[in-house]
Amino acid sequence: MIGMKLKVWISVLSCKLCRFAIRLLGRGGTDFPGRVALKLCPDLLGYLAKDVTTILVTGTNGKTTTSRMVEQALTDSGISFFANKSGANLLSGVTAEFAMHSSLGGKCRYPYALIEADEAAFKAISSYVNARVVVVTNVFRDQLDRYGEVTHTLENLKIGISHCADATICINADDSLTRSIADGIENHVVFYGVDIPIYRDRVAELSDAPYCIKCKHEYVYDYVTYGHLGGYRCPVCGYSRPTPSVSVTSVFSTDTERSHVSIAVDGREFDTTVNLPGGYNIYNACAAMACGKALGLDPAVVSRSLSEFSCGFGRMEKFQINGTSLRMILIKNPAGCNQVLNFLTNTTEPSVFAVCLNDRAQDGKDVSWIWDVDFERVAAMGDRLTELLVSGVRADDMAMRFKYAGVPAEKIRVIRDYGKLVEACIAQDRPVYIMPTYTAMLGLREKISKTYGFKDFWE
Amino acid sequence: MELKICHLYPDVLNLYGDRGNVICMESRLKWRGIDVSTASVSVGEPLRAADYDLFFIGGGQDFEQVVLLEDLKGAKTEEIRSAVRDGKTFLAICGGYQMLGSYYKTWDGQQCDYIGAVDLYTIGVRQRMIGNYMFTCDELGGLKVVGFENHSGKTYLGAGVKPVGRVLAGSGNNGEDHQEGARYNNVFATYSHGCLLPKNPVLCDHILRTALAAKYGSAELMPLDDTLENNAHDYMVNRLSKA
Repeated sequence: MIGMKLKVWISVLSCKLCRFAIRLLGRGGTDFPGRVALKLCPDLLGYLAKDVTTILVTGTNGKTTTSRMVEQALTDSGISFFANKSGANLLSGVTAEFAMHSSLGGKCRYPYALIEADEAAFKAISSYVNARVVVVTNVFRDQLDRYGEVTHTLENLKIGISHCADATICINADDSLTRSIADGIENHVVFYGVDIPIYRDRVAELSDAPYCIKCKHEYVYDYVTYGHLGGYRCPVCGYSRPTPSVSVTSVFSTDTERSHVSIAVDGREFDTTVNLPGGYNIYNACAAMACGKALGLDPAVVSRSLSEFSCGFGRMEKFQINGTSLRMILIKNPAGCNQVLNFLTNTTEPSVFAVCLNDRAQDGKDVSWIWDVDFERVAAMGDRLTELLVSGVRADDMAMRFKYAGVPAEKIRVIRDYGKLVEACIAQDRPVYIMPTYTAMLGLREKISKTYGFKDFWE
Repeated sequence: MELKICHLYPDVLNLYGDRGNVICMESRLKWRGIDVSTASVSVGEPLRAADYDLFFIGGGQDFEQVVLLEDLKGAKTEEIRSAVRDGKTFLAICGGYQMLGSYYKTWDGQQCDYIGAVDLYTIGVRQRMIGNYMFTCDELGGLKVVGFENHSGKTYLGAGVKPVGRVLAGSGNNGEDHQEGARYNNVFATYSHGCLLPKNPVLCDHILRTALAAKYGSAELMPLDDTLENNAHDYMVNRLSKA
């Protein structure tokens, strides 16, 4: 029987060696080293994380962007921390990140950790770490082959939060599903939300939660921000949106680069520029402000951080290549994709779209969700959309979806090869918005970084 | 010519891109100059089955399906039963398919009574059947149909009900008898979403023709350019044939 210390030493060393070897091969390797370490020592994360104050960010959409915002706020507040920036958000990947930031003896080099956690892996991760703050962004239907129904995701989040007795929980008040997490827990809760509609003109989208989670009666809405988010109340049992202590009170302006809003924290207004476009990023900014409040950070500092943070890879990430502006926007489920379209279809300058649909495990094996997205809106853009490029393993399904959405056939071009797709994007003389699913995003990003010298995603 | 489509519970039974099937039927009628209108009938709204030619029922989440079971009791059940009996055309998918049957028994023995318009029943199991799959459509000469299944119910057909066809890859009705879907009068029922009709245009046209023939006696549909549809279909057929 080898002692715990020796086991930790061997596991951390193996993890570091694996990562080193994979990086030598020029690959990301964000998950495999962690799986090796967990094989050697299944409760390694518990050992490595026990003295680290941890911030967990979970939920269906917005985890990565919210984490990048919080990251900037921690940096600007002078807090020493590490984060799982590469997007490795399962138990194995998170364990690897802790191992990489620890000594061989298993002592973490940072007092704080900022961890984005996959919503299905959250309950495992939260059982090992010492969470000070948990941020729950939202719950939407997502890759049903992997996560199951929304109520299942919600149950998993509740179990995960039961492992975080000492944590303050930041909850999206506008999401009737997420809001239910607050019931029956002893934790301190910070509700955040948006007090007003954010779009003048929204896509047609289905609600993922039309009926009261408590009594199954249909909700009444005072306003909707997007999807099932907004000012809901159940006319029968009274279940309703709580008044948030952190809330967006005005949206002054939005364009293709940023949004200018006012965020109130305990009644004090902070004029805030969110350094990313799109209404859903206003939510992420609000979540970051709530996280700052839970951590006791100065809201003025956090507000300023929001105007300076840099986005996660593939989340509205901008590339300027040979004079052409490319923005890469990850799509993964109907709600998220509809929000991207809410943003894109409201832009005024003519542009080109490229959609890249894969069906590997991380993308969701079931591509039927593309029929729940209001791509009819893309057809309605008319001359503002000059060309529509389609790629990915399931390019044929995507091309067909656009045909039935009413996009003229002559505007649709199928380009299967990523290299050729990137070339076709760069050859455009107008802005290009690339919308890939997860593995397509990794593939395209690799192509762009290798060919045009941008950072690899794990850097 | 005109076809009136009734989309039952579109706000509740909408889990797997089900509206894609409605978009597909509408488009393929319009492209041929045939008028089409789609009405939604949801919770709390009365259903007059005689007003429609073709009914579409999709699949939903368990939570929401409980909401509509209450609504389904009584008048709506009677309307649907007689519509099936009278030869109205139905396309029912996943949860909608199960709902046309007699009952659903959960894995721990609780029984939910359903519409009972078609002689079939479903038993819940703990292990879900998930993935791309392929089956034949026997009445279309063994045409290969591709789709995606995601269900935890095993469905068994009664004596007077035929399957749509034979499973070529995947689980189908129950993973045991190699059957997929149900055919009874003008009812087409299947576990295949993902999205069924756009990728299987021949099947879509067959269902539309069935509904038009029931209304007008006979119906010819002029051919369309199905290059994109066939590309998507053939890609999955090839991939599943190799597996």
